[in-house]
Amino acid sequence: MSASLSESPELLKMVGIHKYFGRVHALRGVDFSVKRGEVVGLCGDNGAGKSTLIKVASGYHCADAGQIFFEGREVKMNSPRDARALGIETVYQEQALCPHLSIARNIFLGREPTNSLGLIDRQTMNTDSMQALANLGLHLRSPDALVSALSGGQRQGVAIARAIHFQAKLVILDEPTIALSVKEVREVLDFVRHLRDKGVAAIFITHTLHHVFSVADRIVVIAHGTTLVDMPTRDTTVDDLSDIIARGTLGD
Amino acid sequence: MNTAAMPFLVRFRNIGVLAVLLCLVVGAAALTPQHTFIGEANLKTLVALGSEFGIIALAVGVLMIAGEFDLSVGSVLALCAFVFAYAYPLVGSPFVAMLLAIVCGVAVGLIHGLLVVRARIVSFIATLGGMMTWRGLTQILSGGQMRNVAFDEHPLFVELFTGRVGGVVPAQFIWFVLFAAILYLVLNRGKFGNWIFATGDNAQAARAMAVDTDLVKVVCFVLVGFSVAFAAVLQTTRSTAFSTHMATGWELQAVAAAVVGGTSLRGGRGSMIGIFLGALVIIVMDNMVSQLRLAYEWTYVAFGLVILGAVLLDLMIEKRIQRAAVC
Repeated sequence: MSASLSESPELLKMVGIHKYFGRVHALRGVDFSVKRGEVVGLCGDNGAGKSTLIKVASGYHCADAGQIFFEGREVKMNSPRDARALGIETVYQEQALCPHLSIARNIFLGREPTNSLGLIDRQTMNTDSMQALANLGLHLRSPDALVSALSGGQRQGVAIARAIHFQAKLVILDEPTIALSVKEVREVLDFVRHLRDKGVAAIFITHTLHHVFSVADRIVVIAHGTTLVDMPTRDTTVDDLSDIIARGTLGD
Repeated sequence: MNTAAMPFLVRFRNIGVLAVLLCLVVGAAALTPQHTFIGEANLKTLVALGSEFGIIALAVGVLMIAGEFDLSVGSVLALCAFVFAYAYPLVGSPFVAMLLAIVCGVAVGLIHGLLVVRARIVSFIATLGGMMTWRGLTQILSGGQMRNVAFDEHPLFVELFTGRVGGVVPAQFIWFVLFAAILYLVLNRGKFGNWIFATGDNAQAARAMAVDTDLVKVVCFVLVGFSVAFAAVLQTTRSTAFSTHMATGWELQAVAAAVVGGTSLRGGRGSMIGIFLGALVIIVMDNMVSQLRLAYEWTYVAFGLVILGAVLLDLMIEKRIQRAAVC
């Protein structure tokens, strides 16, 4: 039984997830899964429950009912630390980085490599940072440049590079293209494609269906705390989905 | 896009502070009557007293990088000096008395830190309360009386903290440089230093990366308490007396030193070299006003203008960085 489970194609599988905030029933038995190396677009109107679902998946909230499986094994996540230990990294937009710290210091924040004297090993930190960024197709001039000197798209790249450098198997991207210019959006979408090429799965949360359509393998729409749509991207269109999201139901 | 903008400005910033310092020194030497500024007697006091202040300013600067203020250092110095001066005759050993003074300073730092991270009181207010409480308590406990302390029987202690290395360099200055060197290593090469910067820059991001920002802040408050206690011992030993008025006004001078040295009032930015130079600027200015025989009130005016100038410069640099990021 366990052997067949560990070979399951699902990397993350959430079954019948319920979450209450006081009397608000935010999640009403959501099923959600991500396969290995798959990019899943997660959409839904404001208040639909998508950010609550993501906070459960990244360990910030504990589900009130339901089961979570990671790599075929049932897991309990009580903190973001637990999620990170499993290989789930969450990239929040903007607030994820320290603007006045260098790129390398941001990538290694909290996990700085040290030498035998206990001092930060800058050589390792700098080369590894540049390598991690290059793996995403992002070539920046210097690991010592401050994050505040980077464009919005490049900042997302640094945050994503940090996640995959520490062996994330699943990267959750919370609105990664919000407030970015057209050119920067294209950069970020390229990062997501690089992620998939490296075999890292991603959950891409967005309001903008056009962005998610160009990179996601599958689209999931949440409405009123339940899963409304879960289908391969190629089986649907932007127009159909935006219609469904706006109405909040499948029927006419 | 100019990704190198910030490192250049930081370097430029320290050179700027150094230039200001040199101008002040040359100006003071030239303008003081009979050039008393560079007279041996004045330099002796300047370096000894200045180093005592400087040690505190370094720690206050580190705390500011972590995004918090300490406005109580002058009062805590008086309290620690009280503990040192009163404990010494009781325990007989100045080393043991020093240890007790340091325990006192560390405990006060811990209280301030916990008030900020546990009780969620803004550090500005928490330590403003501390400034009044600790000075008042010191006055009550000492009855407002001065107290002389003699260390004649302990030449080693006196030599260690007020002696002269090579017959020239005051021991206090060596301690000041030692504190600066250690804090430089911690800030620039230590894991903990990276956490201090991150805590002051974006505490939310630091917490998301599993940095315990509350712990970082408490440790920085404790560092300030430790440095203040150390300076209290230096000053009491040098002046062989305790008085309730010791280090009055040092709280704002320490903040001024950090700001002049390029530390951001919003946290997350600053450097040990800058703070060290900033402390020297404040030390020289303070001494210069008295050597120029100006009324002491002028130091307040001078410090006020210097702080305003430094903050304006800081805003300009910040704007330059933003602009560099856009293009």
